Amino acid sequence: MSAPSAGLLARIGALSVALVFVQIGVVSEVPLFGVNVDLSPLLVAFVGLLCGSTLGAITGFVVGLLVDLALVQTLGVTSLIFTLVGYWSGRLRELRDPQAALTPLLVGAAGSALSLVGYSLIEFLLGVDAPVSLELLRQIVLGVVVNTIAAVPMWALVRRTLEGGLPDDPRRRRRRRAYTTGGLSPLSRS
Amino acid sequence: MHDKTVRRRRALLVLLVVLSLLLLTAYFGEAPSGRLHSVQRGFLTVVSPIQDGANKALKPVRDLFGGISDTFHAKSQRNELRKQVDKLRRQLVADQGEKRSYHELLTMFHLDNRLSVANYHPVNATVVGKTPNIWYSTVTIDKGEAAGVHVNDPVINGEGLVGKVTQVASDGAVVSLITDSTVGVSARLGTSGATGIVQPKVGDPNDLLLQYLRANTQVPKGEYVVTSGTVAAGHDDSLYPPGILIGQVTSVNEESAYTSVNVHPIANLHNLDVVQVLTSTSGSLPTNLAHLASTLPSGQTQGGGPTGEALASTGAAR
Repeated sequence: MSAPSAGLLARIGALSVALVFVQIGVVSEVPLFGVNVDLSPLLVAFVGLLCGSTLGAITGFVVGLLVDLALVQTLGVTSLIFTLVGYWSGRLRELRDPQAALTPLLVGAAGSALSLVGYSLIEFLLGVDAPVSLELLRQIVLGVVVNTIAAVPMWALVRRTLEGGLPDDPRRRRRRRAYTTGGLSPLSRS
Repeated sequence: MHDKTVRRRRALLVLLVVLSLLLLTAYFGEAPSGRLHSVQRGFLTVVSPIQDGANKALKPVRDLFGGISDTFHAKSQRNELRKQVDKLRRQLVADQGEKRSYHELLTMFHLDNRLSVANYHPVNATVVGKTPNIWYSTVTIDKGEAAGVHVNDPVINGEGLVGKVTQVASDGAVVSLITDSTVGVSARLGTSGATGIVQPKVGDPNDLLLQYLRANTQVPKGEYVVTSGTVAAGHDDSLYPPGILIGQVTSVNEESAYTSVNVHPIANLHNLDVVQVLTSTSGSLPTNLAHLASTLPSGQTQGGGPTGEALASTGAAR
């Protein structure tokens, strides 16, 4: 894949900063089924899914750092988790390039689950005095469910914002041509 | 060419992971006055006004969603609250006479300079940010050192205890809520006066646990839990004035040596908009008591009880 354009980087940067502020100022204040929607892992997963593993990992690191700085949390924890989320979703695109309509939903759910479970594991490793209770598992499951619901509008927002700046992917170009010009027809092979 | 791309991609991943781990280790290992903490406070100072502006601009959106959510609960709460108002009105009349006698006795025995909320300088602050995850229960407010806010200052709202200040920048501060795992409030039951420590039930942001009550303590469901006015040594260095409402008992757990009770916080911690930071100036009663509490050895406990409450009870400074 070619190097990302400055326009794409600017779009990702602006979207990340805006979403982190909206998350902290609005979304975190509105509980849904007793938990809060967390837009940041969704953003990172979708940037990875659209732009590939390299940009996904970098976005994950930067968004994680921004979240940790703005919320005065232990620096590095969110960066570590989001780097892995961004890289993983980017690799998914590079290896499989899934086109199903449910892909954003599944990637959002998996990204959120990875983020919540990873966060819990690191907090336990850092010595938070807490039991692994059923209530904690319930909160994690509810968090994943709520984030999965939010994944649909979030995917639309991220895709719409980044669409103009995305580099042309030869694999998708081939697929598009085959689809629009009937590339699978015997006539086109002749 | 392909190998080079793969190598570069993997190297970047390793670099970012190592960088994150280095940050984590350095931050976790350094003192609160360390370099990374200072950077974080500096960042808070810079973004606090922006967060404040964004918070004001986005308030209608938040209110809209909050309003929809509140409407569902309003009807069920109304009837229950009407009953409570009737009951409390009767109780108030009875209590007023007793309160007068109590004040007369306090004056008579020179016990009338106990710590109370009136000894503090309340600073009103707007909540401009909140953590989204279940591991941190913190909010960011728009008042900091410039307004006299210090670390460990108690934070309340109209409903009851909210938390305490844990980080301060010049124009902003971070408040750890009573549901945060780092907070432990020394508390007592409203009627029996039995004391314990209120800590969050990690993983359940709507519930607290009042621990270390003596075994067989009788705790009726619905009993109010208030701050005891002592420092929970080893759990929390903050001195909360006595009598601030924390929550209401929902259930009792009998354990081998102690009793613990589940407490539902009275303050709606999901919808914090404006809070009050109880600040104090140097030389005032709260500052002197807090200083006394911090200088006491942690082994000194009130009545040798298991709660870890330091002797700096709010009446012990005289």
